[in-house]
Amino acid sequence: MIDAKAEIVGNVWKIVVREGDQVGPGDPLIVLETMKMEIPVHAPAHGHVSRILVAEGQIVQEGDPVVEIDDTVGA
Amino acid sequence: MPHVSDDHVTTQTSSGRTRLDERRRARFARVEPRGARVHTARERAELLMDEGTFVEFTPLRAAQPGAGSGVVTGWGLVDGRPVVVASHDAAIASGAIGAVMAEAICRAQRFAIDRGFPIVFVNDSGGARVPDGILALHGCGEIFALNVEAQDRIPQISVILGPCAGAAAYSPALTDWTIMVKGHGHMFLTGPDVVRAATGEDATADEIGGSGMHTRVSGVAHLEVETEVEALQSVRHLLSYLPSHVDGELPVTGPVPVNPISAEALSTVVPEKASVVFDMHDVIDGVLDNGARLELMPEYAGSVLTVFGRIEGRPVGVVANQPAVRGGILDSQNSVKIARFVEFCGRFGIPIITLVDVPGFLPGTVEEGRGIITHGAKVLKAYAQARKSLRLTVVVRKAYGGAYIAMGSTSLGADAAWAWSNAEIAVMGPGGAVGLLHRRELAAAEDPAALRERLAAEYRENVARPYVAAEAGIIEDVIHPEETRDRLVAAMRVLEHR
Repeated sequence: MIDAKAEIVGNVWKIVVREGDQVGPGDPLIVLETMKMEIPVHAPAHGHVSRILVAEGQIVQEGDPVVEIDDTVGA
Repeated sequence: MPHVSDDHVTTQTSSGRTRLDERRRARFARVEPRGARVHTARERAELLMDEGTFVEFTPLRAAQPGAGSGVVTGWGLVDGRPVVVASHDAAIASGAIGAVMAEAICRAQRFAIDRGFPIVFVNDSGGARVPDGILALHGCGEIFALNVEAQDRIPQISVILGPCAGAAAYSPALTDWTIMVKGHGHMFLTGPDVVRAATGEDATADEIGGSGMHTRVSGVAHLEVETEVEALQSVRHLLSYLPSHVDGELPVTGPVPVNPISAEALSTVVPEKASVVFDMHDVIDGVLDNGARLELMPEYAGSVLTVFGRIEGRPVGVVANQPAVRGGILDSQNSVKIARFVEFCGRFGIPIITLVDVPGFLPGTVEEGRGIITHGAKVLKAYAQARKSLRLTVVVRKAYGGAYIAMGSTSLGADAAWAWSNAEIAVMGPGGAVGLLHRRELAAAEDPAALRERLAAEYRENVARPYVAAEAGIIEDVIHPEETRDRLVAAMRVLEHR
């Protein structure tokens, strides 16, 4: 399991993926809104989305895990 | 006086020749490099220089019978320009710095400072040489003092090709740029064993001071490369943008046109919607000469870019916000990164091109706690002090508040600034400004969201558009993206008439 983490404090503006989705490194998972900027959180590795740890509108801090990626299958 | 026969003279000479030849053989015997090392200290010095140009200082100098000073020092040419080198010899007492080694390094530093030649330190040292005691520490201190003296005179570059531990680690920190080789370059005050004994922390050498840690987390090193040869080539590449000393001429090459595809794309690179991110590298490629770039600290504090490149063959230092990373905000870490780069360019009169798209300084408890005020002020100081450099600034999208001032504004002394026609320059963004200026109106409105949107659009057009700044003379002109390079080229022409 690998966590995708928020790089910056902000609120969760949009969740792009759903649990079970296949993702690759660099794919946007969620979009944070901070300083009027839409800042995507990218997948750190190949795998599928095993858990989304935040809800839209929620405030996250820098370093908070936001999406859990299962990188053990088909990696 | 007895008669000296010809035979006798011949014998004396040949024994002298033999002794010298033996000394040289002993001194220059190739000691197979240990561990992951590929080249000896002398080979590293030779590889740095143009072929056949390396001249060694005092090659027979010995710390004590049988042991060398532990460093190869000398000078040579890099692309035809003189450069001094001090290359630690890990084959002698693990490259540890003793009294004689320190003296040899100081002599090379003095030579570089007095002549006005850049100096390169090839580091591969376990630290101070313990048997030399306080003499070793004194020698290290003298090296540091000369590192500081050299800052006002010549470029200093450090490469880390092995351990660089203890006292040895401070010298690179006093030089301008540090390049580390992945896997076998390590910098730390104390290695894993001492750390374990002192605090109980169990950590590997890579975790304490590997290139990954120093180029991504600590910011102690500025470039990570794969091999020894690549490290030395990176030094040559870096030197190609720098004058030999603070009063030296910039190394100008033949002009190379911009990449036509990048130039063509320039007008569509920046999304119109101010909240959508893009890669600022695309703007850099659409403005600079096609070809060589050297990005320093590419993996550290990535929401700003610091890049050496060329415009019409002249070296420039580019500072740019990077919206693709953390929205391009300014924070404590990247403020230090900008300040260091601008200060360096300013010291050596390298033109500074600043490309601006910045939402502001990141507010909140975390950044205030990191001392954003102190670190942000370093950016202001660096720009204001870089009077020797031609400072040219282009606002490609938004420049709000304190971040507008910090990013190479004419307010701080930039020679000229331009804004693209869609840019916004204002005390704050439309959203925030409308909330502040029209609080009561918004509270009383039937449809506050619609009113807010209308007022924000009005603010954007009437207040934030760059014409206000242009009419006040705070920026030079409002331009189309595709005009950017021509404006910079024309402004840089003043450099021909200094």
